[in-house]
Order: sequence, then structure tokens, then C-alpha cells
Amino acid sequence: MQAPRASAADLELVERLRARDETAFMELVDGLTPSMRRVARMFVSSDAVADEVVQEAWVGVLKGLAGYEGRASLRTWIFRILVNIAKGRGQREARSVPFATLAGDDLDAPTFDAAAFDHSGGWSTLPFDWRGMPDERVTGRETLAVIGRAIASLPPMQAHVIRLRDVLGWSSDEVRNALDLTDTNQRVLLHRARAKVRAAVEEHLRSVSA
Amino acid sequence: MSRDLVCREVVELINGYLDGSLPADVRAAVEAHLAGCDGCTMVLEEFRQTIAMTGMLTEEQVASAQRDILLAAFRGWATA
Repeated sequence: MQAPRASAADLELVERLRARDETAFMELVDGLTPSMRRVARMFVSSDAVADEVVQEAWVGVLKGLAGYEGRASLRTWIFRILVNIAKGRGQREARSVPFATLAGDDLDAPTFDAAAFDHSGGWSTLPFDWRGMPDERVTGRETLAVIGRAIASLPPMQAHVIRLRDVLGWSSDEVRNALDLTDTNQRVLLHRARAKVRAAVEEHLRSVSA
Repeated sequence: MSRDLVCREVVELINGYLDGSLPADVRAAVEAHLAGCDGCTMVLEEFRQTIAMTGMLTEEQVASAQRDILLAAFRGWATA
């Protein structure tokens, strides 16, 4: 079956995107994301990975937009990008250790940069101290948005663990069972996730206090 | 735990400490260190507060953060 060609509406939308119209982009994102997530989920093992595939597909759409010639409808073209990425992820999941793919490759990374400590392991440069800042500033809407974005950019399994533990308040046993993790893996994932979220909060509060 | 912990080690144990998942001897060593270390005590407080703030988020806010990231990607693309 021949895929439908681009409609006049498609071409007009593409023109708006190429003209850097962000409203047009976000309308497209909002319109297609739910069905993209369902399609991605057919190829990968979890909602968290499907979300990541969708994010990656949108980035691919932006990269490819200059070369879109309207031979297929915009929707068809976007879903082709999505399915390619989802298939690749699905194949990697099937043949490799899923834990390493999903958990992120930074589980051994230190919580703070090595330069924060002196040769004996004591602090040489302390992190930013936000304890003196007004509460409404620290826990305001902006900081919460920073936390949301930090969580959304974590590797899927780290995002899953922190969402269940700290956003939804599940116990470590509940999370372990739901995600089929060992106790150690659960703790390591949570520690990495929290370390990155704390670092994002620190960076944000440092910049607004300056 | 027979020896004292240094700051670089303590920060890796802070979340285990906050979750109560450390063995008793390690927990005692962390507490002994915290009692004499302002820097690590500050970091502990920052983690505690970060966790509390994460708990103030709703799942919808986490989902809409994914949208924010795409908007940022578009803006980056648009100015490239």
C-alpha cells in the first residue's frame, strides 16, 4: 500500500516549523505523543523506555525536518522515525542485558565531582549552601519544575525508581517487587537518581541566588 | 566499621542513611562523621529537602516536564 502523500495542511505545518514556530511544534507534539507512546510500547518492555523512544523520535524529527520533501504525509514520516528508533531499542533490549541498558551507564559515578574533595577525601570545595535562602524561594514552583525536568532526563530505570519512591511514596520493597530489582540495584538506582536531582536543584538555586 | 569515614565516602552513604538501609555499624560510623562535619551535614540536609520537594511533585508534573524538554530541544534547534 502506498503511504499517503503530504497534504496541503502538512506542507503548511512544515513551513511553520521551518519558520521556528514553537506553538506549531508543541501542537504537533501534543497531538501525536499519545499514539506515538502506544506504538513505541509495542516494541519495548516498559512505559519508561517508550517515553524515552518518543523523546528521541521528536529530536529525530527536528533533525530530519530540513530534508522532509512531502513524499509521505507528515504523520507517516514521523511514525517511520519513531518505529525505527523503537525497533532498535527493542532489539537491543532483547539481545543484551536489559538492566544495563535501562539503568544507565553512570551507576558507579561519584555523587560529587572528584575535585570537590582533597587528597584525604575531605571537602575541598563545598557544594552551594542554600540553607540561608528563603523557603518560598527554595521550594517554589520553579524549583519543582527543575526537579521534574531532572527526573524526566534520567535513564529510564532511574526515573522509574525515583518516581515510585519519592514522587508516589512507595516503599523500597514495593518498588523492588514492581520493577523486579534486587535490593542493591534498587538502592543504587535511587541514589544516582537523587544525586542528579539534588545537583540540578543546587545548580538552579545557585543561579537564582547570584 | 573499624575505621573513620571520610567525606567522599559519607556522601555515597547518605541516601542509604536517610532510608535506614545501612547496617548498624556503618550507620554508626556515618553518624559519628556527621556529628563533626558541617559540610556533610549540609549535604544531608540538602538531600532531605530535595526528597521532600520531589514528593511535592505530581505524576502530571513529571509528565509535563517531558514536554518542557521537547520545547527546549525545539528552541535549541530553532536557534542553531
